[in-house]
Amino acid sequence: MTGSKPSIYEVMAAAISRELRDSENWFLGMSTGPQTILLLTRVPIVGMSLAQHTHAPNSFMIVAGWLMNPEVGEVPTHMESEFGTALQDWRCEALSNSLVLPYSAARGEIDVGFGSAAQVDKYGNCNTVCIGDYHKPKVRLVGPINQPGHFSLFGREVIVIEHERRNFVDRVDFISGVGYLDGPGARERLGLPGGGPFMILTDKAVFDFNPQTKLARLKSVHPGITVDEVVAGTGYTHDYVPREVPETPSPSDEEIRLIREVIDPKGALLPR
Amino acid sequence: MPELKEKICSLKEAAGLIKDGSRITLGGMAVHNHPMAFVYELIRKGVKDLTIVGHVSAGDVDILIGAGCVRRVEMSYVGLEEFGPAPNFRRAVETGEIEIAEYSEPMAFERFQCSARGQPFFTTLEMLGTDLPKHNPDIKEVVDPFSGAIYQAIPAADPEWAIIHAPMGDRYGNILYFQNRQLPTDLDLVTSRATRNLIVTVEQIVPRERVLRFPHLNLIPRFRTTAIVEVPYGAHPSSCLQVYDHDREHLKYYSQVARNPDEFKRYLDSYVYGVKSHMEYLNLIGAESLVKLRQIGGYL
Repeated sequence: MTGSKPSIYEVMAAAISRELRDSENWFLGMSTGPQTILLLTRVPIVGMSLAQHTHAPNSFMIVAGWLMNPEVGEVPTHMESEFGTALQDWRCEALSNSLVLPYSAARGEIDVGFGSAAQVDKYGNCNTVCIGDYHKPKVRLVGPINQPGHFSLFGREVIVIEHERRNFVDRVDFISGVGYLDGPGARERLGLPGGGPFMILTDKAVFDFNPQTKLARLKSVHPGITVDEVVAGTGYTHDYVPREVPETPSPSDEEIRLIREVIDPKGALLPR
Repeated sequence: MPELKEKICSLKEAAGLIKDGSRITLGGMAVHNHPMAFVYELIRKGVKDLTIVGHVSAGDVDILIGAGCVRRVEMSYVGLEEFGPAPNFRRAVETGEIEIAEYSEPMAFERFQCSARGQPFFTTLEMLGTDLPKHNPDIKEVVDPFSGAIYQAIPAADPEWAIIHAPMGDRYGNILYFQNRQLPTDLDLVTSRATRNLIVTVEQIVPRERVLRFPHLNLIPRFRTTAIVEVPYGAHPSSCLQVYDHDREHLKYYSQVARNPDEFKRYLDSYVYGVKSHMEYLNLIGAESLVKLRQIGGYL
């Protein structure tokens, strides 16, 4: 098992793990549709667990807002729903069944969140509300859900999104998650307490944000993916491709072992 | 002591309390705990122009929209979780048939807590910078009188009527829950306190003795309850947490047929208009399917 090639989902999980620190609180909501559930729920759970097993044992993973530090290796479900009996049987370190939560997002007690969207723009603004004009939308989506708080109150946000051209736009049709709005200084002018997006993770590549311009830029492409493929699948029109684009680091043999033998031994979270 | 007032009634009588143009909230969250049997009765009654104030809605709101009962929805989400978008909601917003007012999810919850506290509004920073206030005139900027900082003021939910589905209750309207709960149930408790007009459908009517022996499980004492209706499997195809799970096969089927207006109309004809009673609906779903969903006392 060890030494065999990591899957793209394992590469993504390891990329998440590397960005997480010890003694943080991480927040994961749930999502709509099977592909989003894989990318936004199952991959981050493995990434968070990997961080806890390697360098962040004191961090808290908050799943669906109420299950804290579940025994990930025993996951009883494919995480289709935020609640339900399957999740009730999942052993965990703490849980909240009421609105008296042990953490407060408004007080800045969530360090990292994970969010997805139908559109993410060059400044990391996200949209889960509508495609086209708000009053006459071409496609009406599910609604803002918890996205505003993720982007305005959390310390930093990982955007996890399927790499499709139409998902990457110059300007989102509706801002439900506030990125860097229209450029440097915009978040500060509004007085937003949270840090906003710092990473866009897809099934093909990783983007970060230029600290000066706040524009998204290609940081790395996953093993087996070419820069040309990424460019063909990205709708941005600004110059987001640096001269040198490294490969996203693969998980180490030990990380692969942890994922396959300890974190997801039944293959319940990541497709094999 | 004089007789206690019985609040038990039929689905039809309870649905009769809701008038055209009412501002209502339906209990439950995502695919859980929705008072679906009551929703079907509202559709059979042909109620019109409802405003539904909610937080995380699914098939409950979707089917009411599809049946032409809704004028306006206040929400953070209408969708079917793993089964994708809510097709009737999507269609109705795209064609401009219904009006919407959107809030972030925690703020949509907080609107009910605000009503329960008897306050008219509360403030937050959470939606600053988003496009939500642009399209929702009820999100207003206010100045913190202490610090001078700008906040967003959000109005209380203030439903005229709340309808929730719960595990059990007595004929007088005391509502009992299992000791451990999940968040959707707790949200229903908040909802039950957001208005003085509360209709509760329950899986089972239990004797008053049960209430007196387990008063710590009586989370909605009868003075809050306007009407109580016994409706076994009354949340199907959503779950009644700790009694049965949501019916994934049926929700998947619904999510597919609701995409096509003609097929959706046939669905309504079979499952809503075509049945004379809730028992007939349950027969249509079938004993085998219903029994498979049971999770009695889960999470005790």
